[in-house]
Amino acid sequence: MTAYIIRRLLFLVFVLFGVSILIFGLLSTFSPERRAAAYVTTPQQAENIPLIIKEYGLDKPIYVQYGKWIQQVAQGNLGWSLVAARPVAKAFWNYFPTTLELNLFASPLVVIVGIWLGTMSGVYRDSFFDHSTRIAAIVGWSLPTFLFALILLMIFYGYLDLFSPGILSSELALWVANNPDQFVRYTGMYSIDGLLNGRPDITLNALNHLVLPVLTQVIVVVALLMRVMRSGMIEEMSKDYVITAKAKGADFKTIYQKHAKRNALIPVITVAGQLVALSMEGSIAVEVVFNRQGMGWWLAESATQLDMPVLMSVCMFVGLVFVISNLIIDIMYAYVDPRIRLH
Amino acid sequence: METSTTMDAVQAHEHPRLRELKFTLVRIFRNPSAVIGVVLLSFFIGVAIAAPYIAPPKYAHAPYKMPHKGFSPTPKPPSERFIMGTTSGQYDILYGVVWGTRTAFKIGLLVVGFAGLVGVTLGVVAGYYGGWFDEILMRFVDIVWSIPLLVLAMTIVVAFGRGLENIIIALALVEWRWYVRVIRSEVLKLRHQEFVQAAKLMGVSDRKIILRHILPNSIYPVLIMGSMDMGSMVITASFLSFVGLGAPRGYADWGQMVALARNYIVGPANNPLQFWYTIFFPGICIILFVLGWNLLGDALRDAFDPKLRRR
Amino acid sequence: MAVLLTAQDLTTNFYTYEGVVRALDKFTLSIDHGCTFGLVGESGCGKSVTVRSMLRVIQSPGVIEGGRVLFSEQAGTDPIDLLELSEEEMEGIRGDSISMIFQEPNAALNPVLTIGYQVAESFLFHRTAQMSTRICEKIDGGVSFGLLTPLYRAMLSIAAKSPKSRFLKACSRIPLLRRWDTPVKDEAMRRAVDIIGKLGIANPEEIVTRYPHNLSGGMKQRIVIAIALACHPTLLIADEATSNLDVTVQAQILQLLNDLKKESISSILLITHDLGVVAETCEKVGVMYAGTLCETGKVEEVFSRPLHPYTQALLTSVPKFHQEGELQSIEGSVPNLVYPPSGCRFHPRCPKAMEQCSIEKPELKELRKGHFVACHYAEAQVGGLV
Repeated sequence: MTAYIIRRLLFLVFVLFGVSILIFGLLSTFSPERRAAAYVTTPQQAENIPLIIKEYGLDKPIYVQYGKWIQQVAQGNLGWSLVAARPVAKAFWNYFPTTLELNLFASPLVVIVGIWLGTMSGVYRDSFFDHSTRIAAIVGWSLPTFLFALILLMIFYGYLDLFSPGILSSELALWVANNPDQFVRYTGMYSIDGLLNGRPDITLNALNHLVLPVLTQVIVVVALLMRVMRSGMIEEMSKDYVITAKAKGADFKTIYQKHAKRNALIPVITVAGQLVALSMEGSIAVEVVFNRQGMGWWLAESATQLDMPVLMSVCMFVGLVFVISNLIIDIMYAYVDPRIRLH
Repeated sequence: METSTTMDAVQAHEHPRLRELKFTLVRIFRNPSAVIGVVLLSFFIGVAIAAPYIAPPKYAHAPYKMPHKGFSPTPKPPSERFIMGTTSGQYDILYGVVWGTRTAFKIGLLVVGFAGLVGVTLGVVAGYYGGWFDEILMRFVDIVWSIPLLVLAMTIVVAFGRGLENIIIALALVEWRWYVRVIRSEVLKLRHQEFVQAAKLMGVSDRKIILRHILPNSIYPVLIMGSMDMGSMVITASFLSFVGLGAPRGYADWGQMVALARNYIVGPANNPLQFWYTIFFPGICIILFVLGWNLLGDALRDAFDPKLRRR
Repeated sequence: MAVLLTAQDLTTNFYTYEGVVRALDKFTLSIDHGCTFGLVGESGCGKSVTVRSMLRVIQSPGVIEGGRVLFSEQAGTDPIDLLELSEEEMEGIRGDSISMIFQEPNAALNPVLTIGYQVAESFLFHRTAQMSTRICEKIDGGVSFGLLTPLYRAMLSIAAKSPKSRFLKACSRIPLLRRWDTPVKDEAMRRAVDIIGKLGIANPEEIVTRYPHNLSGGMKQRIVIAIALACHPTLLIADEATSNLDVTVQAQILQLLNDLKKESISSILLITHDLGVVAETCEKVGVMYAGTLCETGKVEEVFSRPLHPYTQALLTSVPKFHQEGELQSIEGSVPNLVYPPSGCRFHPRCPKAMEQCSIEKPELKELRKGHFVACHYAEAQVGGLV
């Protein structure tokens, strides 16, 4: 087990190295002037672009450039973000909690709802419930996240005036910005910081702003999980061990909950990586439409301003998260399926 | 008794592959979702072909440029002249929606075609021959795999520059990884099966084995994925257009039309849904287009799934 | 001898895409108390469907269309029709009065649950009340389960009266209260260890913590048998229980079943395509063809003086040690049951077929004492009970 994890961590280093080469290769399509932005860390430096070109050898062969760039990256110098008007590494901590908050609320819902719906429609195959969830899933799968988010905004913000875009109402956001000593941002997530600072009103307001984004995220991601769980359940329910259990005198609920469900979870775990990727992509669209300043918003905004350093760092970060979550998924796999031994 | 013998006789005369195809087609079209999918797609194909007649282009040399009457940012409701109304910038929504269909097909077919071709070729070669090529290719796929499609595509578009062509290139450059993985795993399953081994022993050339035995038996998952991908690539491309990485303003593209409508999803306080048409028409087009491909893909999966088949 | 189980006119269809497969057509069979009954037939003739229909464990798209399955657990009592029982009542019978061993031990065990749990489940389904009563007695007798003893005592006394009560099910969702069944589960596990040990598996304590993939085929089959035997069934149905095993293991398992029959079970229904196994272990035999029973009676009687042409053909197609000349086989192939032959289902392949055979379905008739045959030809030859 330990050996397996060590090997996977080495794989992680390999993948990150590969991603860095890939990204650097893309960067090399830029002119030296624009590439220089990847090395800037202060506004003063931005005025001395030729100096940077010289310092980092941007007119030198590509492997020399890569060596110097990766040195900078290793020191935590990820370049300058135009959108955030500060170094990428610093801006990161501004945006990351917002995205984390969204997914902290959405992911458990996705897992619970997806597995439950998938189980039920697989168990009661071809029932009315099954048909309706199947249709809902395929429509949900066909809904572009950004469009769905816009429609929700149209109805719940425009027409019903229940929820609004953003992270926090403007008055509260202003108050927080003006009183940094009274409102400490422990986690960067308003819903949690509100409680930690004894301001339940801020928590409530933040949660209110989270309703639509979380709903969008859940609906778009849950369709895949549901579909895999459903077909897994259908397959497992037709296996011989189900008849054994039935012949033992097991009631229907025991059969599908105790016997079939755990087996059906195995294929679900194989698509867990895809679910993670889907959530990452979903976060981008959700944050753009609901105007939540998180990683996704930052990425999209940087892309429209052709802000390469941010894109590169986000790619590296996302790769890191993805490989680590895959490692966790593999360990879960071994836990659920006793036939798997990690080595 | 009579009927059963005649039926057996008819079935015996047909080529088995033809019979299987017939069986599959019947299976597919017994599924209502396939029928709806095919109807939706036929509708869109019809619109795409008839685009010059439904919405005659104003600029013959650039039919994808949406004509606009005036520059006012406030959309105008459907009228006799513009039956779907005009969106922000006074672009004719009907025109954009009709020519946007062509754009959508262009994106889907080019991306899926290129990614499928490259992916299948590399995947079959890697899966069949194995060895160092397989090793290098799969490690490369591992690297590309670690970044979600949208993030990587965005980065590539930024590196290559804005525009629809670059979106297509970027999506194709990312999406082939799926096809490699899927077809390679299919080929690996087939490679050691008896009929392939038998063909090898009989001295059939590798090229023939791949074309006659491997490809026909491993292509179904690719077809299913290709169908689903047509939809999801259009979604991703429209999102990239929506954020402003797509074609220049005024190009007939559903994603951009949604972007134009973005500021008008909430109307004035007394009539919050005043500008519904700006988002409704392009939005419904994207949804139905994607739905059509997904329904078709779903029906294909049900028909080809050996576990669900023959029930 | 008193009749234990009778299937009358049992009809089961499978609604597939190709059409309705008429797998069982008015199937009739009866098994006596204390008897080992062998059901033989080619693969695909509906042997498994028969027993699965009797236990009502047919999977979709199969549907039991009609007939009766009469079961009288105690000799002499009024029989009950299993097909009329509610699903809940049926759950009480499966695994308790009637249990089943399956063909493929690899598939019959759940790969993600421990062996111990899978065996213990039988006790949990049928013996919770009994086990709860025992534990209550133990608690009254001074055995303590630590701090939670009073809680256990209270809940167990409810379980002892009605093990399937709604109240207990609701409590199983509440933390702390849900632990009431811990001693019951422990007891069930102890019993599982016991029965596995009795079936001749070394270190049962260790085996119960293992998963099916850790065991060999023969061991798995023993576990499947342990599951079936857990509650001392009156009727044990063994569906090709030994077909996929090595010959030596096969012999061991058959020996085991034979020994067990003497001790704990009343009757065995052995389903197989192996005539040798039937000749060796069974007292009575039924021969099945394409969803119908053609011939049944004492093994020696049927095997030495077969009346049905199918049984005769089946017996001549068994290779014998001192055989000379070619092995006989039955002309033609098993019919497609979507379009079953009219009349007698065997008539297209029957060397003795008469005109009547393609028109009228023959009924099962007692042509010799205790020897039932469904065949127009045999009827005409023998001419009724002699």
